[in-house]
Amino acid sequence: MMEITICGRGGQGGVTLAKIIASAYFLKGKYVQAFGVYAAERSGAPLQAFIRVDDTEITNHNQVQNPDHIVVLDRTLITSGLDANMKPGGAIIVNTPADRTDYMEHFPGRDVFTLDATSIAVANGLGTRTVPIVNTTMAGAIARVLGLSLSDILAGLEHLNFAGANKTCARQAYKQVQSHHVAGEVQPPVAEAGPSKVAGLFDEDIGGMPKIKTGSWATERPERRQLTPPCNHVCPAGNDVRGFVEAVGQEDYDKALAILLETSPLPAVCGRVCPAPCMAACNRAEFDTSVNVRELERAAAEYGKRPEAVPSWRDETVAVVGSGPAGLTTAYQLAKLGYPVTMFEAGDELGGILRSGIPAYRLPRDVLDEEIDHVLEYDIKALTGHQLKREDMLQLSQQFQAVFVATGLQNTSDLKLGETDSPAPVQGLHFLERVRSGDIRLDGQRVIVIGGGNTAMDAARSALRIGARSVRVVYRRTRSEMPAIFEEIEQAIEEGVILDELVSPVSLTNSDSGAILTCQGMVLGPPDDSGRPRPIADTSPEALFDLPCDLVILALGQSHDISILPEGAEIREGEALLGLSGAPFFLGGDFATNAGTVSAAIGCGIRAARHIHRTLSGEDLFAPEPAPVADPGYIKFQRFEHIASEPVSTISMTRRQTCFDEVHLGFKAGPEGDRAISEARRCLSCGVCNQCDRCLEYCPEGVLKRDEDGNAYIFDLDYCKGCGVCMTACPRGAIYMTAL
Amino acid sequence: MTRTLATGNNAAAHALAMAGEANRQARGCCAGAYPITPQTEIIEYLSGYPFSKGRVVLVESEHSAMGVCIGAALAGARTFTASSSNGLAYMTENIFAAGFYRLPTVMLAVNRTLGPPWNIWVDQGDSLMMRDAAWLQLYCDSHQDVFDTTLLAFRIAEDPRVMLPVIVAMDGFVTSHNQMVVDFASQDQVDEFLPPCVIPHHLRHDHPSTFGGMTFPNETEHHRYQIQQSMDAAFEVIEEAREEFGNVFGRRPAGALEAFETEDAETIFIACNTMAQTLHNVVTERRAKGEKIGMIRTKLFRPFPRKALIEAIGPAKRIAVLDRNHSPGSGGIFWQEIAATLGQCSDMLLQDYLVGLGGGDVTPSIINEIIDDMNERTTASDPEFRDRPS
Repeated sequence: MMEITICGRGGQGGVTLAKIIASAYFLKGKYVQAFGVYAAERSGAPLQAFIRVDDTEITNHNQVQNPDHIVVLDRTLITSGLDANMKPGGAIIVNTPADRTDYMEHFPGRDVFTLDATSIAVANGLGTRTVPIVNTTMAGAIARVLGLSLSDILAGLEHLNFAGANKTCARQAYKQVQSHHVAGEVQPPVAEAGPSKVAGLFDEDIGGMPKIKTGSWATERPERRQLTPPCNHVCPAGNDVRGFVEAVGQEDYDKALAILLETSPLPAVCGRVCPAPCMAACNRAEFDTSVNVRELERAAAEYGKRPEAVPSWRDETVAVVGSGPAGLTTAYQLAKLGYPVTMFEAGDELGGILRSGIPAYRLPRDVLDEEIDHVLEYDIKALTGHQLKREDMLQLSQQFQAVFVATGLQNTSDLKLGETDSPAPVQGLHFLERVRSGDIRLDGQRVIVIGGGNTAMDAARSALRIGARSVRVVYRRTRSEMPAIFEEIEQAIEEGVILDELVSPVSLTNSDSGAILTCQGMVLGPPDDSGRPRPIADTSPEALFDLPCDLVILALGQSHDISILPEGAEIREGEALLGLSGAPFFLGGDFATNAGTVSAAIGCGIRAARHIHRTLSGEDLFAPEPAPVADPGYIKFQRFEHIASEPVSTISMTRRQTCFDEVHLGFKAGPEGDRAISEARRCLSCGVCNQCDRCLEYCPEGVLKRDEDGNAYIFDLDYCKGCGVCMTACPRGAIYMTAL
Repeated sequence: MTRTLATGNNAAAHALAMAGEANRQARGCCAGAYPITPQTEIIEYLSGYPFSKGRVVLVESEHSAMGVCIGAALAGARTFTASSSNGLAYMTENIFAAGFYRLPTVMLAVNRTLGPPWNIWVDQGDSLMMRDAAWLQLYCDSHQDVFDTTLLAFRIAEDPRVMLPVIVAMDGFVTSHNQMVVDFASQDQVDEFLPPCVIPHHLRHDHPSTFGGMTFPNETEHHRYQIQQSMDAAFEVIEEAREEFGNVFGRRPAGALEAFETEDAETIFIACNTMAQTLHNVVTERRAKGEKIGMIRTKLFRPFPRKALIEAIGPAKRIAVLDRNHSPGSGGIFWQEIAATLGQCSDMLLQDYLVGLGGGDVTPSIINEIIDDMNERTTASDPEFRDRPS
């Protein structure tokens, strides 16, 4: 009788391997036996299977004690004495990478046959590298060693309905198995150890489970990780969006605001006017609706307590030219780092585009003033009414150790729409400035705004509020290509603005009943350099039409005025510094990037402050390479419940159409309590552990516990079998398994 | 005949399926099924079997599984199921009902230790717990024995002289999950061996009757007496069934027991199931060296074959029983039965060895130690636990 012991791990297919070998011999007319040692193991637990082959009926049902041959499916199972009771002369067949031979020392005097079955199996798609299914591959090697023919073992595989890759692997293994003889003497058999003591009812250790360190069963180990939440990843200002939302969910507005103020000095502004790319990227959008981060930021700014400003303590001084969001941010960040900052503003008040370009119904003046006042609590000297010229700039470079320039976009794009005697169109930004100063009414007038950006929307909505009879926005592409914030377009239409898509103005003429804007219908063509579809004139006769109007507002975008920069300066890669004699100049905001949003300007300001700080102090505060983004594939949506987004209050439509009161009222306390807190708790905390305890609750072994502070989890790897349930249970991808 | 490779579970399930299929010309077949380790493969196999007339009813518990068998048998169907261990314990109330209703159901008991402490390996305590439930019990020592005895069980159960349910037991894992060579049979052969199932008291709309109603003591005693008579008749029925089995299949499964080298043996060792095969191998070896020892493999536990056992023991005065089961406060359950059988022989040395409890591997060396121990004995002691750690 031939007896074989197979040593493998749960999941490798050891019992099936025994059946394959037994089948091959059965088909040759032999009596066979194939069985495993069954217990309550899971994947990875060491286990044994046995084969007996004989010419007569087999009546022994015991586990094999003295095998003729030993098969090892996983090299890491080999310990000294594995072959202790093996008969002399047999083969030890090991699945091992070719470059590993360290285990050979355990088998002195033995014939060892090796094969990299894992590589063959994985290359043929049988399992994965961490959980390879090597049984059919090893069957080929065993057949070769035992003197079965290739057709014998293929017949054995077919008998158990194996085909395809399994047979391919067996064939390769049959050819590739290597023979070795290990030098030395075979070790004598070891006497079997008697059964160990078992606790009695009145023994002190009664009740404890046997101290088997089942961690040895593991082929994988859980690791905790922190991924980059998609909201954080896309935030142009670099805010820890997830972090502040979590703090709001914990009813800690002070902490939430402190997190926001790490990066942005303008949370109350961003909480109103940010296009919120974080909400577009929010994984919750895949599930129900995005977390309303913009309103949560506003709530944090409104309810959180601002920390005390710190005085400057450094000697190096910095000039900031322009007090828009980029300038304010750079000044704020540098002041926090201890630099005295002097800020120059051409206008009478600070704020730049925040003040001149964003109407009060989106950003009330008192909110802006208050936020700027907080920035000025730091050591920042603000000089308004300073329109700097090129020669002034050169002087600054002598007075300060660094100069940051973010003067925004001062040149507006014009459009020639007719003869000199035609009614002149007005520029959008200029119009908004007049609206702000309150010296214009448009009662009963028909207004046409040309353009599709935020200025166009602001001009259109402002025009309605100062009495316009009708307001049309004409745009040469379609609504989905408009650069304006989605919500602003939405709200403009709600308020009664008419949107004419695929329309391009041709000429503006006078008539008896007022001005006439002649327009051309457009169609979308192939994409242009910006990636957006190129508008092409519609050639059909009805595509040319007239729109009567009283006022035309141009909102076609702006460009920067680089004439203030020292001679020879050019802008490279947006914010790149310029090498000059004297202090270095740093450029930022729309002036450098034309990114067009407050949050992008804030991000630019932070980077500029870090550049300046690195240049002046040598210290590098740039963040290291971020972790991978927790995209929806990491999130186990089935572990969450659908929860509707909390409603946000707005003022009445009548007031929206007639006055400049802020449209959005933010989250107000609802019947269930603070709506902002409920909304914040909808956050999935993508890729970042928030101590939800799912892993701890689901761990079938109870090997997970909280650390002493209760803030993190500890895996007891002595008893972790590497089952991966914690990884599967983690709803947010914060646990993964690594191969041992 | 088809020679094939099968696990013990495969062999049992295939025999059950073919027996059920054989009743397709009569009132068909039905199984109530609920899985439990190590019996699950049987339920899986039956659930996928394309019965011509009959079905497997998947239920929520073992108690209901037996309930389905009872209902279907009362409707006249050939019925069968399988269970193990704590599942069998949960089934108990209805197991008694099937026995006392006298419904010829066949159940595969894949022996597994009753917990707690939790244990999935072989121990016969689960099926032996059904000792008094009016079921016949047969214990199988090999895969072939499982296949053949399962078919045999239907013939015995449905014989009008018996009309009682039958448990066919095998070792969990050692037999159930071990793949070995088995000779299967064709459906034609099974059809020939198993005549249509006729349950004389099955329910009829044209002849309304009731079962299990209240009875007075004397009526109940008569009911028990009738069952005892049927149990007594079973010995003869089993022998006839084996004879017929041999005619159809060309081989004869063991009956009540098998004796080996007992004629001139001074000491006889008694065991059942795969343990008996190991014992057989050891006795063969030691006989070859001249030791006057023999062995008996007990297969039939209910009815207990007292007469056959006394005959098989013959003049031997030293008997050792190997029990893979334990009745706390007494000892091995086979030992109790044998002691009751040999009660009148006051000069007998009868020793019980509790071995392989909870699924321990009963190796030839353990059996040799028992034989050595027995050879040195002059008196019997209390039942002895052999594998117990200190």
